Amino acid sequence: MRNLLDFLIKYKHWLLFIFLEVISFVLLFRFNGYQGSVYFTSANAVTGKVYQMANNLTGYFHLKTINSDLVQHNTELSIQLEHLRDAYKKLTADTTIIEQMKQEALMDCSLIKANVINNSTTHTNNFITIDKGEEDGVQKEMGVVSGSGVVGIVYQTSAHYAVIIPVLNSKSSISCKIRQSDYFGFLKWSGGSPEFAFIKDMPRHSVFEVGDTIVTSGHSTIFPSGVLVGTVDEIGDSNDGLSYSIRVRLFTDFARLNEVRVIVKSNIEEQLELEESVINKEE
Amino acid sequence: MLQLFERIGWFVGLVLLQVLVLSHVHIYGYATPFLYIFFILILNSGIDRNILLLWAFAIGLCVDIFCNTPGMHAAAITLVAFLREPILKGVAMKEMEEEFEPRISTMGFSSYLKYTFLCTLIFCSVIEVIDTFSFSDLKELGLKIITDTLITMICIFCVEAILRRNKSEERF
Repeated sequence: MRNLLDFLIKYKHWLLFIFLEVISFVLLFRFNGYQGSVYFTSANAVTGKVYQMANNLTGYFHLKTINSDLVQHNTELSIQLEHLRDAYKKLTADTTIIEQMKQEALMDCSLIKANVINNSTTHTNNFITIDKGEEDGVQKEMGVVSGSGVVGIVYQTSAHYAVIIPVLNSKSSISCKIRQSDYFGFLKWSGGSPEFAFIKDMPRHSVFEVGDTIVTSGHSTIFPSGVLVGTVDEIGDSNDGLSYSIRVRLFTDFARLNEVRVIVKSNIEEQLELEESVINKEE
Repeated sequence: MLQLFERIGWFVGLVLLQVLVLSHVHIYGYATPFLYIFFILILNSGIDRNILLLWAFAIGLCVDIFCNTPGMHAAAITLVAFLREPILKGVAMKEMEEEFEPRISTMGFSSYLKYTFLCTLIFCSVIEVIDTFSFSDLKELGLKIITDTLITMICIFCVEAILRRNKSEERF
């Protein structure tokens, strides 16, 4: 017993070392599946504040490029508007359809404006932190887009900040389709260049070519259909040879992401349920 | 007491420098400097090993929390802190009985170079292995480790040069 105690005292730094390493690895492996670990991420209050202060400074450096992007986007949109106006004129005879479409679009979702305060693109599992949280209406599993295209899905939220799993994370999987032909597959990323992601399960009989636009499919409740993702850059075979593997050039430039929008999809059933429960309580 | 405040100053300064600037440096997707290990490298040689381990774990965890990688930096820097004493004993040319701060001025250039190189290499290897978590692309992994180590060494020697100049100006 005495020998054992002597041994322990003599080698106590070994014990401490092993203890600390075990803590590190427990943190490392539990973080991914552990929903309550928001305090150990950059969504906690202190780190969020520090990043926000830094972002207030560095945000100015990107203004020029953001501005030119906006101008370009603006012109694109005004051209599109012109086209739509033409189409609208043709369709005004049947006004009920237009009214219905407008209402549907408004009912479906609203947007929350947010700033990116921390971002990385070089790891295998990247994360983005934004400066909006639960108090602003951001919740887990909401979709996030930027002006140029899809960004990712909200993963963790605190009162004022949220962590997003962007496309550039090996765990991310977003349902996409080819705009012209509606064939769909899942967008994945496995490290490497932040400009490209892959769709590995596109069926053999699907029709598409290099340069085709890829948009979200709307099959999940996270993104509405038609949010821009990227273009087909290269067509290859998947590992098992049963389907096509498409390399997608992403529209979103993750390396200089600054402003994003969180998509809030309001659910009619949910709203009705809530209202009903309030009425029941009053009775 | 004064030494403790100085140490905390270094701690906060290096963590902020690391998470706000250096962690975002990726030259062609490689070469990220991890300057904050300088904090562990220059702690007094006579420091209790347990206290050294706790300092290392604390600074690693701080960097982790900012970088969204809980455990990664903490694991790597704790290992470096654990191996610091044997490395220090191995590279020091003369037998050093009394305590000293491991710096160029106290160790001599070649021993200091060997000492920082070994520590940095161990640290960068552990970080990159944990981050990629596979050995499927050894060339890529090796390149990342080597470039990280090189740029971290350059940063450490830059800080050394700046500190030295300040000290020599004080003397005159």
